[in-house]
Amino acid sequence: MNAAPKPLLEVSDLTVHAGVNDIIRNISFTLDAGEVLAVIGPNGAGKSVLLKTLLGIMPATSGAITWSAGVHVGYLPQRFLVDLYLPMTVGEFLDLKPHRTISNERALELVGIERGWLARRLAHLSSGQLQRVLLAWALLDDPQVLLFDEPTENVDVAGQESIYALLHHLQESMHIALLIVSHDLHVVNRYATNVLCLNQKMLCFGTPEETLTKERLTTLYGEHTHFKHTH
Amino acid sequence: MDTLQLFTFISGILVAAASGAVGSILVVRKMTLLSDALSHVALPGIALGILLNFNPLVGGIAVLFFGVLLIWYVEMKTKLAIESVTGVLFVTALSIGSLLIPQQDILEAFFGSVRNISINDAVLQACIALAIVAITLRYLKPLALSSIAPDLSVASRVSQPLMELFLLILIAFTISVGVSFVGVLLMSALLIVPAVTAKNIARSFKGFVGLSMILAIFSLTTGLILGNVYGINPGLATVLVSACCFFVSFFFRPKM
Repeated sequence: MNAAPKPLLEVSDLTVHAGVNDIIRNISFTLDAGEVLAVIGPNGAGKSVLLKTLLGIMPATSGAITWSAGVHVGYLPQRFLVDLYLPMTVGEFLDLKPHRTISNERALELVGIERGWLARRLAHLSSGQLQRVLLAWALLDDPQVLLFDEPTENVDVAGQESIYALLHHLQESMHIALLIVSHDLHVVNRYATNVLCLNQKMLCFGTPEETLTKERLTTLYGEHTHFKHTH
Repeated sequence: MDTLQLFTFISGILVAAASGAVGSILVVRKMTLLSDALSHVALPGIALGILLNFNPLVGGIAVLFFGVLLIWYVEMKTKLAIESVTGVLFVTALSIGSLLIPQQDILEAFFGSVRNISINDAVLQACIALAIVAITLRYLKPLALSSIAPDLSVASRVSQPLMELFLLILIAFTISVGVSFVGVLLMSALLIVPAVTAKNIARSFKGFVGLSMILAIFSLTTGLILGNVYGINPGLATVLVSACCFFVSFFFRPKM
């Protein structure tokens, strides 16, 4: 019998190329059940690419991504553009989910939205409301992990705080592991179990206390020419 | 109405329903130009059918099927946008088709030739159209998901390239049964105009797809009747009816 349970996700030596350029290089980390892993790094560091590769939306060039058997993964994309004239209600959108274990009503309840929203048009929602609907979508198949790519544009600060409070609540009450791409160090310090600093290659992986030192953040977000990190 | 006309009329209803259903997916997927270009690809097949004395409908299906496989394959291999690949293929097919097709048949190939539809053609078209409607409605959810949210679709383990191929094949069959009614130049009118009209009016997705089918049926049947009564080309009449519906739809838009 294994003493330690296997991690939900194990990534080893992951490299992703687009054309001839490396987008991310030699990334290794693990994610355990109920954990919150925050991925931080400057723009263009490959954070969204990492998430998309984990989901199979983009192909990995080399390395291994091992999800534990039968795990359900939910995904909240960074951007979800809805055509302003798309004739589709929230209920119809949730009905498109291919695999599901809970009802639309239950999923909306989990994200704190009234049932009446099922008849509202997707195109009429604000970006924050749409994000909650997407979270409800992700919860429909009772996921053990949620991958959340924080939006960089049109961010409504109050909306973001409430989505984090909601994610935190889901993580605690349903024991869902979270893998979040965040730009907000406050969020990272407050919620993350582990932090992965990414700027094409992996610059750190550990708890927020040990990783988020002033020196390291300068290295991560400062000028590229100042890279002097060795592992 | 004689037997042939009745068969043509019934076949027309089913072909229009198929166009409305497939067209609604094309419109939410913003692939309207693709269907326009693709319909011209049928032309060399129709030409070969006329020249070599086999059913032009079968020729059209064969060439379109080959065409979509080629488009899909080139797109997969080169990552060129699907519209660019189709653009090249369509002008090539249009030129070859126009060269091959006998002069006296060219206008009918371009704008439809309802009076040339035989009972056998009508039955074959009706069967194919019925299958298209059934398959499209059966797979409406994955088709819609891969169109409005490709990332969520892939994350839910629905293969995007396979959905694309599936949709291309549906378009190919829809075009091949529709061209004898409205011709290769106007086929996209039957696919697209009812769907964009329905999008103007509908509030839900089910309403949108249903309305798109109803509007396509209304346009085609009205076109056939007008063609019969006034002795004009029913294909052209169909397109004009659908365009009128589109302009009228602006007065019925739901409030934002």
